[in-house]
Amino acid sequence: MPTQHIVQSFDDELRRLATLIVQMGGQAESQLANAVEAMVKRDSDLANQVVQNDAKIDALRNQVDDLAIELLARRQPLANDLRVIVSALRISSEIERIGDYAANVAKRSVALNQSPLVRPVHAIPRMAALVQALIKDTLDAYITGDAAKANAVWTRDEEVDELYTSLFRELLTYMMEDPRSITPCTHLLFIAKNIERIGDHATNIAELIHYTVKGQMPSGERPKGDATAYAVLSAPGGKP
Amino acid sequence: MNLQTADSVMADQAVPACDPPTPKVSIENLAFYYGDARALKGISLPLYERKVTAFIGPSGCGKSTLLRVLNRIYEMYPKQRAEGRVIVDGENILDPRQDLNLLRAKIGMVFQKPTPFPMSVYENIAFGIRLYERIGKDEMDHRVEDALRRAALWNEVKDKLNSSGLGLSGGQQQRLCIARTVAVRPEVILFDEPCSALDPISTAKIEELIDELKDDYTIAIVTHNMQQAARTSDFTAFMYLGELIEFGETRQIFTHPGKQQTQDYITGRFG
Repeated sequence: MPTQHIVQSFDDELRRLATLIVQMGGQAESQLANAVEAMVKRDSDLANQVVQNDAKIDALRNQVDDLAIELLARRQPLANDLRVIVSALRISSEIERIGDYAANVAKRSVALNQSPLVRPVHAIPRMAALVQALIKDTLDAYITGDAAKANAVWTRDEEVDELYTSLFRELLTYMMEDPRSITPCTHLLFIAKNIERIGDHATNIAELIHYTVKGQMPSGERPKGDATAYAVLSAPGGKP
Repeated sequence: MNLQTADSVMADQAVPACDPPTPKVSIENLAFYYGDARALKGISLPLYERKVTAFIGPSGCGKSTLLRVLNRIYEMYPKQRAEGRVIVDGENILDPRQDLNLLRAKIGMVFQKPTPFPMSVYENIAFGIRLYERIGKDEMDHRVEDALRRAALWNEVKDKLNSSGLGLSGGQQQRLCIARTVAVRPEVILFDEPCSALDPISTAKIEELIDELKDDYTIAIVTHNMQQAARTSDFTAFMYLGELIEFGETRQIFTHPGKQQTQDYITGRFG
């Protein structure tokens, strides 16, 4: 903020709101990292810990909502203050969803550990690393109020989508080659989908940062690389 | 295995166009002097017909001065003069040949502090009408009732029309003043901080009234209450040190103002 409010306690409250959001974001980021680590290392204990920790993010979301609603009622904010507070309400929901998806990844990892290891799927940790970087950059953009950085996240999600599409094809191929792999591959597909959705939520947050700073949502259609919705599968030798 | 992809098709969504508002009053390069002190520095903006325009800004920024120019009330005081043009229905009301009585009937004003005359409720309204028109008793009764109804006061005073206007509550007195203004059938109504002395219920009644009055009148309101400006107006002008800093749609000014100075003011920051 270039200038301070005449009423300093309002500045303190806005700082507290931002701190809660950043805290939530940091927890969501590490939840994703731990969930993927649990999957790669087949560590069910770590996965269960991730599932349990999701409640902490939910609790933080409630704190953000309570504070934001209180600020709306008591400060009756306008202009950029209004945008900051309304965005905080929406960003907290986005992060809460990210937390849910990370917990889902962890749950699937536990289920995955019930089956023998299928061929290692390298694309999932790669996707997760990309998405983690998106979350980190989004949080950096939030802290610094950097609309350009937020925009970069907004366009970078396309890479995640593309990785997801190629992973989708890879897993389909495995399933067709060996029906015994259908159960673990289905779990892996859902894990990949959860991570891909986390990327989408990170871009939603990036849009909200752009709105907070510039007063309007980014213009144009976000570039998307997820083509799996249109994928049509045909049996080997059959017609498409 | 074959994979096929299809492109999504986005349908164009037509946005209905709104008719642009027409200016009822055009303020053009207006300057105002209290003796040698320049209180308004080349202000230009429209007051759109049947819209509410709010004037906001810190004390001394010239917003009340601007209202006082619009019905030339400043002429009651020596050494005060205006330059520039204020066009109402195609005529410059700053022209010395302008009939001030007609101007003040056309452009009414409601002040910060309710100013009922020390006479009955009925006479408070009839007094103003008699200044401009000679009408019979029946028509006068009708005009008084109409004005009180328009000011949303009729139901509260219909049984005490002959009681003193000074006996009404603050909020009722302010609505009586609005009724008195409306009674002479103005085209523009200027409100100079009309609710600053009123409680929240009376304030809400006045705001509701402003909302109804804008169907028939062009309205300008000066207020120090940002939320009131945001609630009541269609357009907002932010003034600072005698200059117009920003003028635009209220929705825009209060969610995403174009100027840093406007943002600092409406969000309560150090400029």
